[in-house]
Amino acid sequence: MSLDGFPPFISAQLHYLINHFPDKIKVEQVLSGGKTYTGGLDRFTLLIPYCLDYIKWDIIYNAEFPLAPPDIIFGTEDEDFHPLHMTGRVGEGDLKFRNILSDWNYKDPTRLLALIQELRDRYMAYQKKRVGEVDDDRLTFEISTICSREGIEMQISSGAEKPEEVKFAVPLMDMNINKMVHGCPWRHPQKIYLQVIYPVGKKYASTPSAPRLKLMSTTELRALFTIEDVKLPSWLDGMCMAEYLPHLEESLQKQVLEAVSLIDIRRHFIEALAPLLGRPLEADPKGNISCFLWILRFPGALPYFNSVS
Amino acid sequence: MGDLVLQKIAISGPTLASMIQRLSSSPADLDGLLFGHVTCVAPSALSDDSVQSTPDSQLVATISSFLSFPSLLSFYDSLGRVDSSRLTLTNLNQKPLIGWFSFRRKTPLRPSMRESSVTRSLPSNPQLYLPIQNASSESLFAPSIFLLFTTPLQDQFIQTCQYRAFQYQSSNLCFNPLPIDIVNIGPAFRGHYGAFSPTSALPFLNCELRSSSAINECRNEENLIGMKRIAKDQSELDMCAEGMQIGRLNQLIGPEAVNYTAGLEDLYKKMLCKIESLARLVEASSAKVVEQENHNRKLRYKVARSAGLE
Repeated sequence: MSLDGFPPFISAQLHYLINHFPDKIKVEQVLSGGKTYTGGLDRFTLLIPYCLDYIKWDIIYNAEFPLAPPDIIFGTEDEDFHPLHMTGRVGEGDLKFRNILSDWNYKDPTRLLALIQELRDRYMAYQKKRVGEVDDDRLTFEISTICSREGIEMQISSGAEKPEEVKFAVPLMDMNINKMVHGCPWRHPQKIYLQVIYPVGKKYASTPSAPRLKLMSTTELRALFTIEDVKLPSWLDGMCMAEYLPHLEESLQKQVLEAVSLIDIRRHFIEALAPLLGRPLEADPKGNISCFLWILRFPGALPYFNSVS
Repeated sequence: MGDLVLQKIAISGPTLASMIQRLSSSPADLDGLLFGHVTCVAPSALSDDSVQSTPDSQLVATISSFLSFPSLLSFYDSLGRVDSSRLTLTNLNQKPLIGWFSFRRKTPLRPSMRESSVTRSLPSNPQLYLPIQNASSESLFAPSIFLLFTTPLQDQFIQTCQYRAFQYQSSNLCFNPLPIDIVNIGPAFRGHYGAFSPTSALPFLNCELRSSSAINECRNEENLIGMKRIAKDQSELDMCAEGMQIGRLNQLIGPEAVNYTAGLEDLYKKMLCKIESLARLVEASSAKVVEQENHNRKLRYKVARSAGLE
């Protein structure tokens, strides 16, 4: 995306952030904070992926004061998120975060990425604390059983009209899918997540209702494996995540391995055609691995032969 | 010391207009300090209830003046920590600090990360706490008001300035939005000026009614001391009036008070002269300040552009 109109020190940092952030970050609503536009654009909204959704943070630079670090405005629901003075122990991460701001070097393009990553970690800790304070026995139990899993993200969402809910993004299967696919074109590691949304229960509800479940995957994985086709095992009454997840992971693992082996079979098939149809033969997976369209070019009557598998 | 919760903030029309004019003419984001006083207003209890619970007395903060800084990170650092060596009573000319304000164009109307931090660390110096007027207890008010100004995100053909006031409560670490009362001049607002207190007072001049016989006797000895005191009093009067001889103040007291009105009018006329000459001085120095600010901005542009060349 074009980042014209920014003063050089902002565009360098923003470019670096977009290119090096582990996930896809979006930039919206780019504006200028000056009275006239001569200073350039210096404020924008970042959509940062968190918990299978986006959090919107407004980043405020000042084109007139390049030496100052940017200021950040968090979302409307996060009024209590104060990373600069979070109560509790001041850990190493907190010191690192404060150092980024106090030693701000506007010429260093890596600074904005470091700042956003540290803030996102603080945000995760803040959400974890908020979820931990929820007054719901079932949730407390669930959290205690699964918080040992690495990479879990959780978020409380509450609004005026809708009831309070706690959302979990549980990464499934500790497999490195990228490695399993031959010649994988993906830049980021692909993962599958289970989104679990629990309503925060009122004390007088008799039976706790089942949470809403949804499987989601990183976008590029859809080429290999359509996540929407996977049928989730049903959630029985009185089940908890610690029971449910292993079943789900087992069946999902089988399906993923099947999809990967199918690709291997296709590849072998195409390669095996080469000696039969004569050289030169090019098999071009055309970007999409399972797109089912392999364009084969070989000498002969037809300019190309599309094999749909 | 417990948190003193404000009920609302009052600001006079001219002060708010002056602030908005200052903000709109600034080329970039701006922040600064708010000065004023806090009054305890007893609510009118017109109920005939037999249950007499003492109504909570209401605290109203009035903003009377402001001071804006032309650059960011003026009295705080990039982590939002207030530099208490800069916010001392001497630096502030003994003005009563009640909070601070921030202006940023095209941003949402809620406190940012750094602004929260600054507001939180503003009450760190107990020497700046204010006594509350009309209060029964001796509690002091810590500067905890944050006034945020923004402009709407979409370009408008009409200049719009949005503002919201918050009081930071250290007990529950939250920003409490407060309603703002704009006090204007006019018959409808006469009642609001009940808590009005002038910020510019006449100097307190030592006034002794001496009998004429005493003057005649001690005239020779007290001459030098008397002259020194007269000179001191004259310099104090010159701070708020121009060209008014101290001796003329006799017209306001004692046997000469028959010409009271004329004397008072004269005093006011000379005070207006003083204001006029002050205005001229301010104009001249403002021109110099603008020149210096332009020079600073050019240097900052150079710095900003040079980042890309390295």
